[in-house]
Amino acid sequence: MHIINKLKVASLLGVAALTAGGAQAMDIGVMVPTTGSEATYGQDMINAVQIAIDEINEAGGLLGEELAIVTGDDACDPQQAVNAATMLASSGVVGVVGGYCSGSTLPTLQIYGDANIPFVIAAANSTQLIPENPGNAFMINSTGADQATKAVEFLSGQGVETLAIIDQGDAYSQDLASLTASAWEEAGHTVVATETANRGEQDYSAIVTNIRSANPDAVFWTAYFADGGLLIRQLRQMGYQGVIAVGDGSNSPQLFEIAGQAAEGVFAFSNPTAQFIPEAASFIETYQADYGTAPGPYAPLAYDGMKLLASAIEQAGSTEPQAIIDALAAADGFEGLAGPISFTEENTLARSNFIVLEGQGGAWTRAQE
Amino acid sequence: MTAFDVVMQQVVNGLVLGSFYALVALGYTMIFGVIKLLNFAHGDLYMVGGFVGFLVLSAISGIVGAGWTGVAIAMFFSMIAVGCLGVVIERVAYHPMLRAPRLSILITALAVSLVLQNTVLSLTHGQYTAFRSDFGFGGVNLGNLFITYNQMILVGIAAFLMIGLELFVSRTQYGRAMRAVAIDKDMCQLMGINVSGIIAVTFLIGSALAAAAGTMAGAYYGSIWYFMGFLIGLKAFTAAVIGGIGSIPGAMLGGLILGLLESFGTLLPGVGSAWKDVFSFAILILVLVFKPTGLLGKSEQERM
Repeated sequence: MHIINKLKVASLLGVAALTAGGAQAMDIGVMVPTTGSEATYGQDMINAVQIAIDEINEAGGLLGEELAIVTGDDACDPQQAVNAATMLASSGVVGVVGGYCSGSTLPTLQIYGDANIPFVIAAANSTQLIPENPGNAFMINSTGADQATKAVEFLSGQGVETLAIIDQGDAYSQDLASLTASAWEEAGHTVVATETANRGEQDYSAIVTNIRSANPDAVFWTAYFADGGLLIRQLRQMGYQGVIAVGDGSNSPQLFEIAGQAAEGVFAFSNPTAQFIPEAASFIETYQADYGTAPGPYAPLAYDGMKLLASAIEQAGSTEPQAIIDALAAADGFEGLAGPISFTEENTLARSNFIVLEGQGGAWTRAQE
Repeated sequence: MTAFDVVMQQVVNGLVLGSFYALVALGYTMIFGVIKLLNFAHGDLYMVGGFVGFLVLSAISGIVGAGWTGVAIAMFFSMIAVGCLGVVIERVAYHPMLRAPRLSILITALAVSLVLQNTVLSLTHGQYTAFRSDFGFGGVNLGNLFITYNQMILVGIAAFLMIGLELFVSRTQYGRAMRAVAIDKDMCQLMGINVSGIIAVTFLIGSALAAAAGTMAGAYYGSIWYFMGFLIGLKAFTAAVIGGIGSIPGAMLGGLILGLLESFGTLLPGVGSAWKDVFSFAILILVLVFKPTGLLGKSEQERM
């Protein structure tokens, strides 16, 4: 047994020596869900990071080394995310890009913090992440607070005075609902109804009746598309004629399948998805050519995250973690697909990147703001 | 809308919702009445009914359109298919268990529920399927009260099916046999009644009613998914217990009461819409504590 172990160690050392002699790869960790219900989004993000890495490698690599991906599957599950983060932290990655679900990203912050690994959070955007951040994590997706601000700004611009807010009782939609409610009242308007729907509910008639009796200028649904589609359909079916807006969780083409005609004219607040970014045309082309499908909603952010990390490494001039973290913090208007990136004191995006979409002809189009 | 309008509108909502619950609760109650089984797979038959209805409608909508004719045909075929599925499930999973302890067959029912759910899950990858129908958004205004044509037709269909069932059970020979089997299986066997056949008919009808409700729900709400049977299964069970499990009029009454309670639950100050499920299950507990036989149930006397 001992001899076998020693042999193993010896052979490992041998391999290490060999790779040290040749062209060494610089490993980048990508932590996203590749299994479970969110797996498709995770795969989109890996593909996008791969495109960024291919471009960097073709241009001669980084600090003279080739980049390679090490994938950690968090399955959108906090426990598995801790395993994935521990694995990435111990496998000597230079930095990590990823973080899709806020709930599973949260417990990994401490792990990357202890290992002092630069972590670029591409998609997760709960405001809960901010106080837990040890300082090495950078959020390049706007937070729920930014979305609430955008919602208030846009709806006020549409002449809306009275608002009804409906959430689904989970962390994401409740957070967005309460942030929006307080921002809306601060702006001098009134919230005339707040309702919470149960997940998986099919019948919204009771809620719709309460909404109609409160008669708000606009209804804001802060949860996901599947139930949102049913709600929108029933709102219109029962004669509600005001403005309907939905949060980024409802930005899905499936909303139109479920809500049908009723989704026409519905507004959605969304992260900049590739199809609405003129600068991303060549990215979409490469993505289509490489993977045969359209890039998903978080692909541009994952691509930006990788490019941002690479530029920070280059600026740091070494793979020393603190130098990279400092370079990230100093990012000043880094040009990403989704717009320029600079950070606040809290390592969140200095500028809200939310855009407003409008349902037209059974698909999302960019709304006039 | 005045407060009165809101209340009246909630009555309409409650009646529509309640007629769905009642249709599903009927199957629960019939099966419990005949073989004393809480068929936890019943909500999933509702779900399968929605999917079969969807498939039939997709196949025929090119010919007859996706309006009421199409949905009626889809509902009819879904009722036949799911009714037969119910019979097969009874033959394969429940029949060998009829003489086993109650607990074994109850667990079998849970297993059947999981099999149905996961089969549809793997076929649909857990995605929501849009149930496209051409129902317009039209309706009738009565003052500030608004009732859509869909709601009226749905309640009409539900009432038609429930009255048909009541006539079947009270007026036909099969119905009489069904009631006899519910009272004493062994004695019926001795009297030359085909008990297995009666049980099969019960499953056929109960499952077909669930399928009708599932297809109607799909067409009305516009989307179906593999888990839609779970909550409605629980609600239908609750409705059946409130009305008195084993009693057919009780299931109808229980369904309507539950639908109305839920609609009004959202109006209570300080309770709000998030609590409406809590509210309906709290009523279940109250009924079980104060009138365990349900509103229309008869207490059974243990014979020694």
